[in-house]
Amino acid sequence: MLTSRTFLKRTRSGAVLKVVREHYLRDDIGCGAAPCQLCGERPSGEVAGLEAQPSGAVSSLCPGPHYLLPDTNLLLHQIDILEDPVIRNVIVLQTVLQEVRNRSAPVYKRIKDAIADPEKHFYSFTNEHRRETYIEQEQGENSNDRNDRAIRVAVKWYNEHLKKLKNEENIQVILLTNDRKNKEKAVEEGITAYTCEEYIKSLVANPELVDRLASVSDEGNEIESGRIIFSEHMPLSKLQQGIKSGIYHQGTFRASRDNYLEATVWVHGNAEENREIIIQGLKNLNRAVHEDIVAVELLAKDDWAAPSSVVLQDDGQNEDDIENEEEKENILKTSVSKKMLRPTGRVVGIIKRNWRPFCGILSKSQIKEARRHLFTPADRRIPRIRIETRQASTLEGQKIIVAIDGWPRNSRYPNGHFVKNLGTAGDKETETEVLLLEHDVPHQPFSQAVLSFLPKMPWSITETDMKFREDLRHLCVCSVDPPGCTDIDDALHCRELENGNLEVGVHIADVSHFIRPGNALDEESAKRGTTVYLCAKVNVVFMDISCLMGLFFCTCNGDVLFLCEQNEGLTISTILPCHASLTYAEAQMRIDSAGMSDDITTSLRGLNKLAKILKKRRIDNGALTLSSPEVRFNMDSETHDPIDLQTKELKETNSMVEEFMLLANISVAQKIYEEFPEHALLRKHPAPPPSNYDILVKASKSKNLEIKTDSAKALADSLDSAECPTFPYLNTLLRILATRCMMQAVYFCSGMDTDFHHYALASPIYTHFTSPIRRYADIIVHRLLAVTIGSDCTYPELTDKHKLADLCKNLNYRHKMAQYAQRASVAFHTQLFFKTKGVMHEEAYILFVRKNAIVVLIPKYGLEGTVFFEEKDKPKPSLTYNDEIPSLTVEDTTFCTFDTVKVNIVLDASNIQHQKIRMALVEPKVKFR
Amino acid sequence: MASVVLSEAEKVYIVHGIQEDLRVDGRGCEDYRCAEVETDVVSNTSGSARVKLGHTDILVGVKAEMGTPKLEKPSEGYLEFFVDCSANATPEFEGRGGDELATEIANTLYRIFNNEGSIDLKSLCINPREHCWVLYVDVLLLECGGNLFDAISIAVKAALFNTRIPKVRVLEDEEGSKEIELSDDPFDCIRLKVDNVPCIITLSKIGYRHVVDATLQEEACSLASLLISVTSRGVVTCMKKVGKGSLDPESIFEMMETGKRVGKVLHTSLQKVLDKEESLGTTRKKVGFLG
Repeated sequence: MLTSRTFLKRTRSGAVLKVVREHYLRDDIGCGAAPCQLCGERPSGEVAGLEAQPSGAVSSLCPGPHYLLPDTNLLLHQIDILEDPVIRNVIVLQTVLQEVRNRSAPVYKRIKDAIADPEKHFYSFTNEHRRETYIEQEQGENSNDRNDRAIRVAVKWYNEHLKKLKNEENIQVILLTNDRKNKEKAVEEGITAYTCEEYIKSLVANPELVDRLASVSDEGNEIESGRIIFSEHMPLSKLQQGIKSGIYHQGTFRASRDNYLEATVWVHGNAEENREIIIQGLKNLNRAVHEDIVAVELLAKDDWAAPSSVVLQDDGQNEDDIENEEEKENILKTSVSKKMLRPTGRVVGIIKRNWRPFCGILSKSQIKEARRHLFTPADRRIPRIRIETRQASTLEGQKIIVAIDGWPRNSRYPNGHFVKNLGTAGDKETETEVLLLEHDVPHQPFSQAVLSFLPKMPWSITETDMKFREDLRHLCVCSVDPPGCTDIDDALHCRELENGNLEVGVHIADVSHFIRPGNALDEESAKRGTTVYLCAKVNVVFMDISCLMGLFFCTCNGDVLFLCEQNEGLTISTILPCHASLTYAEAQMRIDSAGMSDDITTSLRGLNKLAKILKKRRIDNGALTLSSPEVRFNMDSETHDPIDLQTKELKETNSMVEEFMLLANISVAQKIYEEFPEHALLRKHPAPPPSNYDILVKASKSKNLEIKTDSAKALADSLDSAECPTFPYLNTLLRILATRCMMQAVYFCSGMDTDFHHYALASPIYTHFTSPIRRYADIIVHRLLAVTIGSDCTYPELTDKHKLADLCKNLNYRHKMAQYAQRASVAFHTQLFFKTKGVMHEEAYILFVRKNAIVVLIPKYGLEGTVFFEEKDKPKPSLTYNDEIPSLTVEDTTFCTFDTVKVNIVLDASNIQHQKIRMALVEPKVKFR
Repeated sequence: MASVVLSEAEKVYIVHGIQEDLRVDGRGCEDYRCAEVETDVVSNTSGSARVKLGHTDILVGVKAEMGTPKLEKPSEGYLEFFVDCSANATPEFEGRGGDELATEIANTLYRIFNNEGSIDLKSLCINPREHCWVLYVDVLLLECGGNLFDAISIAVKAALFNTRIPKVRVLEDEEGSKEIELSDDPFDCIRLKVDNVPCIITLSKIGYRHVVDATLQEEACSLASLLISVTSRGVVTCMKKVGKGSLDPESIFEMMETGKRVGKVLHTSLQKVLDKEESLGTTRKKVGFLG
């Protein structure tokens, strides 16, 4: 039967549109119950559906067999409960599913996963298309009422339908709804309906589920209790008006890592308007959580503040310490010079919450038998969350995941509920899991669909492969990689031509040949974006496939980029074998030992010679050599505990391979940009704004050195000349500082941007081409290049610059997160390392000077840490901070940037929540007067 | 305009018959052919109607869209007419063949309907000088079997009767900026008052007498005809002579009287049909184009 659905909607331009959709009603949509003979055979391959004998938790409210049918709000708020393996046999109506989809994409995805899980026996019933359960909106009924009615009609239909089954025991369908009115109506119509709380509490055998109930209670009765701390959020419509008229500013809320009473809001808008507003104080922060989209009102100029350089951590145990807070807030308001003042504001409303589940540890309440506890997230930018749980003692010392449900006005902390227990805190596996979750790194195992697109082994070259490729198997090609590398994707060759020139080939594995656009593997890779390397746990992310593929390429096939020495770029897809795979050290040894003169060795020598020329040319152009302390852990092969640290050692061959990769990347960037001026995926590194260098210039001045920062070339030159005979490490320190001044390099689509310059490499154009196994960007570049040289065909998404721009955005995000995750992993392993070492004294250099602390770097371990001068239970030293130099005077001792100090390093395990490396000053001694 | 070619003998036959108040299809001079009216035939319009009058087949759709009021009438909405002479109706309309007729019909429709007297244009205003509803009336000629204007006017009236304009509210905040809010309930809508909407009665002078609702054959015999628009109360709002012949004042007067008389009956019977259809509500089985 055909009917049509009509609805009105407003377009963005303000016009009112009448939309008519055809809507088919059918009689053959199955109810999904396994024992149902009426609905006919279910097509094979469909998900399991509802069980004949509903298993799952026993409910005291409803002892008979039953199916559950939640309404939309319940699904949205209590998805954590529904995901529990105990909850089975749930009917998800299409009406509900669609509403969920409109309101929350993440919940929609989770419920879809639950439906797809055969263990859960969730069934999605397309009630809108079954004739008996389809209803039309009636006069005087809004769409919410209509959906509620549709849900009730569906429950009724189910109950009648299931009654017709020849079953000894009648299966009941229970409506779960937290909406009081809907429940009343349902009961009136003879439907069994419970609220979620009632039902979950009736599951006698599973009391732990109660903890995971989201605490969404009515707003009304909460106001009565307790004093109101925060001012009310304005409704969205008011905010939008305010933003339109310019009273309020919309922006992303970014809490400060170091100070829980301070945050900045990045105001959205045009580039020149893009500015930061500072928010200080608990009341002005007004319940905003990191990453929320908020509306901010600017304060009067007299109330403006400067960003404080105080480090403050929220460690209050009690909730009633608001007076304390005020005292702390006063610390922020130290007198500062007028020009330091920045626009300051207060949050008036939340436009979009960006809450996600947070990892962290429970801080058990000191009151015995208490059920309310505070939860401390691992991310310091997230406030502590109050949760209700009865299993506090089991959860203590465990890393858990908690979701925020709401933040009432009278509460110092947001309310949340317990979601999942990850494992013991400090445990390697648990911490790695936390790390990945916290950095939003997708690390689930690959689905069957994705794996099915992997190339089948054994693989051999086919005729069609030969057609578009040149056979280079006669060349002597070798790869140079770090020891133990399994994903070999690049190789080099060099030979002398008849005219005396040298021909160099950079060979990159042609991954794009195997990952075809649009298939599941491609989509998954595009989503994951890049490989994340963590210490110990080998690359978990982009590809387990990468290992697989890597092995594969060792024996097979490659895409080759030829570069003749005179820069006559020429690209050909080729087929080649690998003659030798060497490690950096092996390659270096071959170059150095005079006795060897086989093909590979001569080839390597040629490459090395050319690389030196290339490097010199690059440096002359103003490429920067920056430095960051990098360490490598030597792992115990059995326990994977770090047993030793070593800073990375660079050999000449590292630089040789790097030079050729850079050259290949640049040439490919030029080539694809020529062919696709609008759709080339490139990488740029914007020049930092001059103010970024302030700290570097000031710091070097204090050591009587001048650093010029007008151009990359000037910076590179002045860094090279900045030597201090008595302080050889100074140059490295300066380079480390300079690195901190840099901007992030980003991927972008050439059609969407005009500035292509790569600042650090001093190249007018750049892209990533040489690591397709590890990065998705390279795969896109490969595809573009393949089209350019005619060995592959294009596809619509490839030449859609908006899609490409979206992809770049995701890749940039993943890339950033991967870096953070890697850093965090190093930090964690450093902790593990020091755990075994006990107290150590080490020499350190001051990197930054803060108002109440100094940040020091210990070059031996590449370890950075903060030294505080105020300690609990000890007299406070007098601190004088000088912004100009910058320096900090503690009592009689003055600390400047780059000063050498001695610190002792202890692993502070007193607080299991946050094991941290604590540093204390040993030399110079601060004397109290 | 669509026409048929008749032999002299056929013309004489028709003219003589009319002289005797006996038309070729058996009607009297003041009789209409059997008319079929159905409303709400096109679901994605705000209102629509299809009228079949003998072989004449007309489809009218009304679409309400938001626009800005005209400068000279800041507190009124307005109507826009568009006539499409489909080549389905007659091969003569192919290409740009129907344009001239379409413009003529559209101009006539503007004169008759787009004024405060016919439709309450003030009710189409949302907020003066800024927003108003514009009713786009699209007329599609599906088949031409004579007496186009009358059929079109009946269809337009029926479509306007059927039109439902979504209710919008203007929210104003302290700063004076206005926000338009659309009602959540699709049943919450404005209906137009069609009591004063006129219908066109075309009177064709054939021989010494005049007839209403002339067929194509009869139109071929007529040298001049008079188009008058009459409201349901018998008020003549507009008059126009078409055809190359001339009319003497006395017969014009006579024709007007006939027009008023016939018009009143036409309005009553149309209203009756529309009301009956309306009362059936959603239980009505739609005929549409398949019936």
